[in-house]
Amino acid sequence: MSVRQAPTYQQGAPERPIDDDSDVEEEALANDYREQVGYRDGEDYDLDQHMSVGGGPQDLQAQLQAAATPLEYQATIETKIQSYDSYCNLFHFILNSEGPVDIEVPSYYWAWDVIDEFIYQFNSFCSFRQRLAFNQTTTQVNEDEIAVLRENPNTWGCYSVLNVLYSLIQRSQISEQLAARKRGEDPAPYAGEYGSRSLYQMLGYFSIIGLLRVHCLLGDFSLALKTLDDIELNKKAMFARVMAANFTTYYYIGFSYMMMHRYADALRSFNHILIYVSRTKNFQKGAQYDSITKKNDQMYALVAICVAFYPQRLDDTIHTALREKYGEQLTRMQRGGPEALPIFEELFRAACPKFISPTPPDFDQPHLNIDPVEHQLSIFMEEVKNNMYSPTVRSYLKLYTTMDLTKLAGFLEVDADTLRSWLLVNKQRSRQVRHSEGPLLEGDVVNSSDLDYAMQGDMIHVSEAKVGRRLVDWYLRNLARTY
Amino acid sequence: MSRAFDYCPERPENIDTILNGLDRYNPETTAVFQEYVAQQCENQTYDCYANLALLKLYQFNPHLTRDEATTNILVKALTVFPAPDYSLCLSLLPPYVLAQSKLQHQNGGPTPTGQGTLAEAVQHLNTLHTQLNNAQYADFWNTFEGDDIYADLVADVQGFEEVMRVRIAVVVSQCMQEVQRSVLESWLNLRGSKLENFVREVCAWTIEGESVKIPSNNENEARGTVVRENVKFEQFGRIVKRAYEQPC
Repeated sequence: MSVRQAPTYQQGAPERPIDDDSDVEEEALANDYREQVGYRDGEDYDLDQHMSVGGGPQDLQAQLQAAATPLEYQATIETKIQSYDSYCNLFHFILNSEGPVDIEVPSYYWAWDVIDEFIYQFNSFCSFRQRLAFNQTTTQVNEDEIAVLRENPNTWGCYSVLNVLYSLIQRSQISEQLAARKRGEDPAPYAGEYGSRSLYQMLGYFSIIGLLRVHCLLGDFSLALKTLDDIELNKKAMFARVMAANFTTYYYIGFSYMMMHRYADALRSFNHILIYVSRTKNFQKGAQYDSITKKNDQMYALVAICVAFYPQRLDDTIHTALREKYGEQLTRMQRGGPEALPIFEELFRAACPKFISPTPPDFDQPHLNIDPVEHQLSIFMEEVKNNMYSPTVRSYLKLYTTMDLTKLAGFLEVDADTLRSWLLVNKQRSRQVRHSEGPLLEGDVVNSSDLDYAMQGDMIHVSEAKVGRRLVDWYLRNLARTY
Repeated sequence: MSRAFDYCPERPENIDTILNGLDRYNPETTAVFQEYVAQQCENQTYDCYANLALLKLYQFNPHLTRDEATTNILVKALTVFPAPDYSLCLSLLPPYVLAQSKLQHQNGGPTPTGQGTLAEAVQHLNTLHTQLNNAQYADFWNTFEGDDIYADLVADVQGFEEVMRVRIAVVVSQCMQEVQRSVLESWLNLRGSKLENFVREVCAWTIEGESVKIPSNNENEARGTVVRENVKFEQFGRIVKRAYEQPC
């Protein structure tokens, strides 16, 4: 058990992972950020093109740019299908030309934007299709659109999207390269003909992040975390250089952990990125900032949920922002009981990714096409209901060192059997798997609660983990000030 | 105790190869995974990560779905409660299954048209899952024995009842030092000499009159601890570095 096992919610000095504290790294990140913002303002990918294969040079350049540009909000279904076709053509060209395609892409951002937009369009197309099928009977829907969708069941198909991502990963041999880097070797010998070129390297790399996202959208949370086996999660990682990628990665990692009931790990990942955002806030502006703000709020909602499950001391900045945004909700969730359920539901709905079904909807049986968000929500709510009385139990046990079960049951106005069950549930829930090192799916079972108890017949023996004073953080900060 | 979610000591090599390659998406491997699920039911082994891969194949290729394999996977996931495995399996089922089973639940039992469907089976298993996770073990056994459908659902899974008893006993040993015999009887659904046998042979606990004593272990001792700060030298790295760079 480590020091991190913090007791009461917010009290005393915040704790931070050690690696979060380097000014030097922060400076570098800020610079990266400025560079990125500058690039964004130009909205110009400035693709150097040394050679053209297939189509005119103009044509290819336009294609590459289009691939990284969002569709208009009101795009028609034809445009969406067309967009799918052009992605297919582009990726086919990149992957299946004779030998590697020789285009120099100057920035990471382009590669990220392509993958990001590709998945975003896939996601919104699937949601759109499912909604249309579900609403057929209740609202006026466009029959032509349904006809088009029926005729093109494979457009934006799951297999083809996964195929693109996996092919980019394989072609670039990015996994082998990353594995080599992890071992401390030079990745170059593992790169091969394709992987040595930055175009393939970057597309491959961001495809791994893309896979994390797609798996999570499909509800396969363990596989989502598994895909990151080769990626090192630190500030020097490539994805950390692109703000949107950095943000996306931690959001989906955190969310997947949450769905695997590993709240401590989820919190750690949300905290990490939210602290980063709050520190680089001053450099953020424009349209990109708006999209980050939205995701930012979503993550605070998830932090609130996780903290309610797993009371923990948070970083000061996070804590203040959380109180500001979701203060009331958090209080009610921490109180537990049936009244808290609608809050959990509301926050989950607002903050979850837009889940999708991998297969085309059944247009002949509209009622079968339930929104996958509702599906995941109901699974999650089972877990919430299961934990509903833990806060109550904990708040009472904190007051005693020994307590008679029947007496406590009297206080709580439940029968002894019910209380016995609550105690067992709370005890089981306080044991959580927590990651310490190695791949994300690994972890140790630790006691995550400051309160521990055991029953001897009807007698409950309670013990509390007391936390000694934390001096190091205070000492270091004051020492730093004197320089 | 360190464990990775995707690790399973008993996993055969060929399954491992499929899981780590692109063949995990190949509809033809469905048969291999189904076979593997049957094997797990038979040998009392359990490999959640592989089972999720099969559910994913079903998710992508609904026409290949075999309800029997799905319910077997869910029943297997029940045997490791309170782990999140059961929820993770549900996440990969088609959304209408849960929605329908919810509807049936509201209408008080399965509708005539819903009988024998996957939704109905899932609804029943959900009831067990909820009771187990809420530590309502006596209710769990009542539900389990109250309807023949459960016997059918767990028929393929060898030793289901025995495994559940062991799981419940594990929970008890984590939370209790002593428990009344009557409580334990209802939780384990064992009476008289059967209970005595189970308690002595399987759990190695002792019975003293009306109470059962559980030897203390790491989990069932409520010990007050003082969490101390764990100071690492690296934390002072920056201070030392600065002191070195700019001597005063």
